[in-house]
Amino acid sequence: MTPGADVALFGISVLSGIIGALAGVGGGILVIPALTTIFGVDIHLAIGASIVSIIATSSGAAVAYVRDRLTNLRVGMFLEVATTTGAVGGALAAAVVAPQLLYVLLAAVLGLSILQQVSRLGEELPPEVMPSRAAVALRLASSYPDQQLRREVPYAARRVGLGFVMMLMAGFLSGLLGIGSGVLKVLAMDGVMRLPMKVSTATSNFMIGVTAAASAGIYLGRGDVDARLAAPVALGVLTGALLGSRVLVRLRNRQVRLIFVPIMVVVALQMLARGLGLHVAFLG
Amino acid sequence: MTGPATTPPERPDARLSSDELRLVVARVLLAGVALSAALILAGFLASLFVGWDGSLLGAARGGDPTDVGAIAEGLRNLRPQAIAQLGLLTLVLTPMARVAASLGLFAVEHDRMYVLISLVVLAILIAGLLVIR
Repeated sequence: MTPGADVALFGISVLSGIIGALAGVGGGILVIPALTTIFGVDIHLAIGASIVSIIATSSGAAVAYVRDRLTNLRVGMFLEVATTTGAVGGALAAAVVAPQLLYVLLAAVLGLSILQQVSRLGEELPPEVMPSRAAVALRLASSYPDQQLRREVPYAARRVGLGFVMMLMAGFLSGLLGIGSGVLKVLAMDGVMRLPMKVSTATSNFMIGVTAAASAGIYLGRGDVDARLAAPVALGVLTGALLGSRVLVRLRNRQVRLIFVPIMVVVALQMLARGLGLHVAFLG
Repeated sequence: MTGPATTPPERPDARLSSDELRLVVARVLLAGVALSAALILAGFLASLFVGWDGSLLGAARGGDPTDVGAIAEGLRNLRPQAIAQLGLLTLVLTPMARVAASLGLFAVEHDRMYVLISLVVLAILIAGLLVIR
């Protein structure tokens, strides 16, 4: 690859990282479509580059959340048993799954992210829940300091089994598609286990790195993590995510969604068209 | 910020030791990302000058560093691709180090259940690294 292409790869990855951070999705789900459509990169190499980038962005962002006590280390560690198991399965399956199906699944997960973006309204706390027996046994209940409410918010967890099963699925998709599948992780913790949104988001982010590492080893061994592609992509996505998180503080949530939901819709349609083998001229 | 993680002394106060747990975990993550980003950046920048298969020491162009021996040869000759590959490997190992750090600190807290859970996660991660070789 020529130096010019390297710089272009870096640039498009920065952009994916910025949009990803602003829209609250990982850079992976946008960088894979960008690599495959704009640069014509083989989807398996794109996934390999994406999976290592995700480790960088997740670990980088996790540092602040861990320090602020938003991340629940026990919930994270327990559910990582499920996500890493799923991820290993997904990465093994990726070798035998048809690329078309990968595109369709990418479109589906993007669609889910879009629904979540559209539906996510105010950030209120979940109703007080009775912790289930499993949650008590696993000591998942905790509390976090809420800066907006200016108080310590205690919380419990329930439906741990269902949450665990969803995490298996989230891990499988992460390993299969080289994405963080943070949307599914948040859904499992916030929607199913009824943890507060901020705790769910921070813990999901924390788990993404470990989940990605479980399948990244397999991609590395398979030779799908090519430094010539993965180096500019990982650096770009990391830079973009750092920039995006700086900008995010100054933007209103509504503005962010109004700008990025249409972009995500276009990318999702494009992936769907690719998967179904359609040629849609205006989508490239 | 990225100083070496010190083992916190045993304390009866659970809150204090769990705060220390958080700090160590955060430091391990930060150090891992910083180190791997530096290596990947070094490889990337070097590639712009001598090409991915070139050598900063002026050695002949080399092939893909796919196995450990080739990476070692690439590192000896300061090949951009080998340097970046080492950074990518460091990146993949960072979450593993984080799980190991959590494991150690759950042990300090005498939390046997979570020591066991961390061990299971660590085993799966190692299996993921070894499964293809």
